[in-house]
Formats: sequence, C-alpha cells, structure tokens
Amino acid sequence: MKAFLDYIPGDSPLHRLNPLSKFTISVAVCAACFISTSPLVLCALIVLDLLLAALGHIFTFALKLLRGLAGLSVFLFILQVLFIRTGRPLFTLFSGFPVTTDGIMNAARLVLRLTGSMLPLAVMLSLTKLNDLSGVLTWYLHIPYKYAFMLTTAIRFIPVFTAEMESIMEAQTARGIEFDTKNIFKKIKLIMPLCIPLLITSVGKSDTTAVSAELRGFERRNRHSMSVIYPLRAPDSIAFVFSAGLIAAAAVL
Amino acid sequence: MQVIQFSSADFSYGTFPVLSDISFSVEKGEFISIIGENGAGKSTLLKLFNGLNRPTAGTVSICGLDTRSAKTSELAAHVGFLFQNPDRQICCNTIREELNFGIHTDPERTERILQTFGFTPDASPFSLSRGQRQQIALASVIARNTDILVLDEPTTGLDYRECMSMMSYIRKLNREEGKTIVMVSHDMEIVQDFSGRILVLTGGKLAADGPARTILTDRQLLEKASLLPPQIADTALRLGSGFADIFTVQEMTDRVGHILSAVAVQTQDVHI
Repeated sequence: MKAFLDYIPGDSPLHRLNPLSKFTISVAVCAACFISTSPLVLCALIVLDLLLAALGHIFTFALKLLRGLAGLSVFLFILQVLFIRTGRPLFTLFSGFPVTTDGIMNAARLVLRLTGSMLPLAVMLSLTKLNDLSGVLTWYLHIPYKYAFMLTTAIRFIPVFTAEMESIMEAQTARGIEFDTKNIFKKIKLIMPLCIPLLITSVGKSDTTAVSAELRGFERRNRHSMSVIYPLRAPDSIAFVFSAGLIAAAAVL
Repeated sequence: MQVIQFSSADFSYGTFPVLSDISFSVEKGEFISIIGENGAGKSTLLKLFNGLNRPTAGTVSICGLDTRSAKTSELAAHVGFLFQNPDRQICCNTIREELNFGIHTDPERTERILQTFGFTPDASPFSLSRGQRQQIALASVIARNTDILVLDEPTTGLDYRECMSMMSYIRKLNREEGKTIVMVSHDMEIVQDFSGRILVLTGGKLAADGPARTILTDRQLLEKASLLPPQIADTALRLGSGFADIFTVQEMTDRVGHILSAVAVQTQDVHI
C-alpha cells in the first residue's frame, strides 16, 4: 500500500521533467504564496497546485490531501479569528471574543498560504524519486551529498514513521486503549505514552540506516559519485521561466 | 461453546482484495494454528479477530460481539493480541507498569505472572534482549486475562530455549485455564507440537481446516501452500506407505524399535 509522500510512478509530463525543475516550480509556488497578500491570488495558486497535480496524473491524491488540510485549516481559521482583536468589529462570539475584519482577512490569508504552500511540495515529492532529488541538489546546486542525503532521508522517513505510529496505535488499541474514541482530546492524551515506542523505533531505524550507509562507503560519496545524469531539456527551461514569472506575478498582483 | 465465528467473511484493503469467503468457527479451549505462505493473508485474518480490520462482506463474531459494530477496545476485553514486534507494544518504563497498562488488569494476577516469568518488576523493558521483550509483550497480554489469545508469530527471533519456554506457558494457559489460542506460525515443528487443529490459507482463501495430523501429512496440500511438513512427518512420508501413519518422534521411535527387535529375532533364528 502507498503511504503518504511515497513516490507515485507514472509517465506524465511532470514525471519526465528534470527533478530540479520540479523542485524549482514547487519552491516558486511556495514563495508566491508568501509574497502575495491577496486572498484571490492565493486561491488562484491553490487552483494552480491542483492543475499541476492533474498534469502529473495525481489529481485524486491532491484532492485527498486538500481534504486532509481542510480540517487543520478550519481549526487555524477559528483560532486566528478568535484571537485577532484589531480591525472593525463585526460581531461577538462566546460573549467575549469579537470577530473583526482584520481577524477574518488574516485568518483567510494564513489558511490559504498554508494550503497553497503545502500542496506543491507534496505534489513534487509524489512525482520525484528521492534519490533523484538528492542527485540534482548535489549536482546542480552543489549541496554537499551528506546534506542532500540528510534532507531526502528525513522526507523518506515521514511515511515510514507514519506507518510505524499507526502500527503502534493498533497494538495499543488491541490492548483495550480507546484509540477508537471520537473524543479528540482523550485521543491526544492517550497518544502521549506512545511517543516512547515511536522514539525507540525511530532511533533504532536511524542508527541502522547510518551504519548501513557507512558500510556502503557513504563518507566517500560526493557529486562525482553520481551514477545517473540529469540533463536539462527544453521543457525544463519553460519550467524555470514559468517559476520566475509566477514569483514576479505574485509580487505585482 | 463457540467463541469465534467467521461466516463468509471477505476483507479488502481499498479495492485490493486480501481475504475472500472465510468461514470457520472455534470452540472455547481449542488451540488452532493458521499456516500459509507469506502474503497469504494470515496477519490480515488475525486482525479480523479484534476489529483492527472489519470484514468488507460477511460477518465475524467474537464471544457474541459482531466485529462490524463493536469497537476494538470493547473486543479487547475478550481478545488478547500478541504482535510480531514487541517494540510496538511496550511503552512503559518498568515491566510492572507495562503489565498493568491497559484495561482489565488485576494487580494480583500481574504479580503472579511477574513471578512465573521471573521478571525483575522494576527493570526497564527497553534494556532487555529481543526474546525477553517478546516475553514481556506476551506477559502483558496474559495479564489482561482474556478468553481468547491471538498470537502473530510469537516465536519469531527467539532461541530454542526461549521458544520452548514461551510455547509451554501458552499450552499451560490453554490446558489449565481453558484459554482459546489462535496462532500464526511459520515454524512447522511448533505448529505440530502444540496445535490440535490447523487452518491453511492460500491466496486469501481457506484451503483446508482439520486436525493437525491430517493437515501436516498432506504433502500435496502443503506444497500448494508453499510449506513443508515437519521433519518427522516428512521423514515418515519419504520412508513410504509403511510409515505413513507416523506423526510424532515417539511414534517413530516406537515403530523403528519394533522393526529393529523383529529383525533381531529373525537374525537369531538364522543358523549357519
């Protein structure tokens, strides 16, 4: 079964793009999200994220991710609205929390930025093999292999640890711990002791990975050790121009 | 009394079918093993026992509770589940706390179990060997005193002594306390020595369900499930039809002894 952020194989135009181009596009969309202050532009960037996902044939995955982010977004929106006091008051909630124009605008901006900047990274990671990503970071951006490997390993471990946490929760539910409760606060309280088995497994896994890498000559690897060449082609040039245009448009609009 | 009842149960991960048309029932106090090749669906089947997986069609009933609607934490009052990897289960700083963690634990029973296993109650479970951690995981399952124990490859990673000590304790629970045991194992010797009944799973379907002796001497069936008979049964099958009924070391010893004494008598009768 595919886990979150696992590479989704395919032959779409985005799959064929150089990993550096995909990385540049996703960074450009993120940057545009933080440069722009207009909620309309931020909405357009989210639509662009979905279009990119459709171009990569992972539209369903992007929609699922968007649905997942919606819960977090609602929570953050409510928090922002409740605690921002500046601006023109519109009405009062829970007899003591005035909802203001600034509160709504800032909350909307925060939520749209969060969604708009998370989606392109997830889409890029789902369309790029992590080895290829570390390869181009080392080759084109001259990032030392050690750091590129560290970045991609950290990303690679996200689905691994997610699966591990799910297994730990299964094991504890089987012991009668009420993880199947609908009460979110009770669930959070129950999760705390599980940090111990997760931490122990994580440290063990990291240690095994480090030893295994050392045994395979990790210290001697550098940009000249790459076995794959990632040439830049015409579509990559278009991607770079598109990324630059996107940042410029976000600054202007 | 039936404690487990599967009726035409199917299970799929999304659109990917894993188990289909599984039907069997288990009486209280039975010791059954589920065997089959890797990927046959054994661990998935085990998770249907406590609601970690819910049947996508058909029904699974555990001690009268329908797993389609009962919460896993409710089913946990009847089913104790030992996972392959003890590190997913252990989460407390001392062995005593670990045994008392969870629902329905009786401190007196915990103390008895601590003594039986010879644990140092205040030791940290994380500093122990893999075999000892597996024993702690088993002890914490037993501490909850459930009617059914579901064991997913309980002897993985254990040496012979640890393996025998753990299995003997499980047999004691089965015989003396009447616990129903459902075990998945790849070790045919363990399956032969401890199970009364065996279910064979191939490609997500139940290929056979019967007494251990019948199943483990059916070479064709075992080959279909990519398995080999236990060594003694395999030897007996290779020796031919005269040994076809041999299943245990004791039976083989008796038969060989009988043949040797017959040969000795015949030799005495020969006069040169």
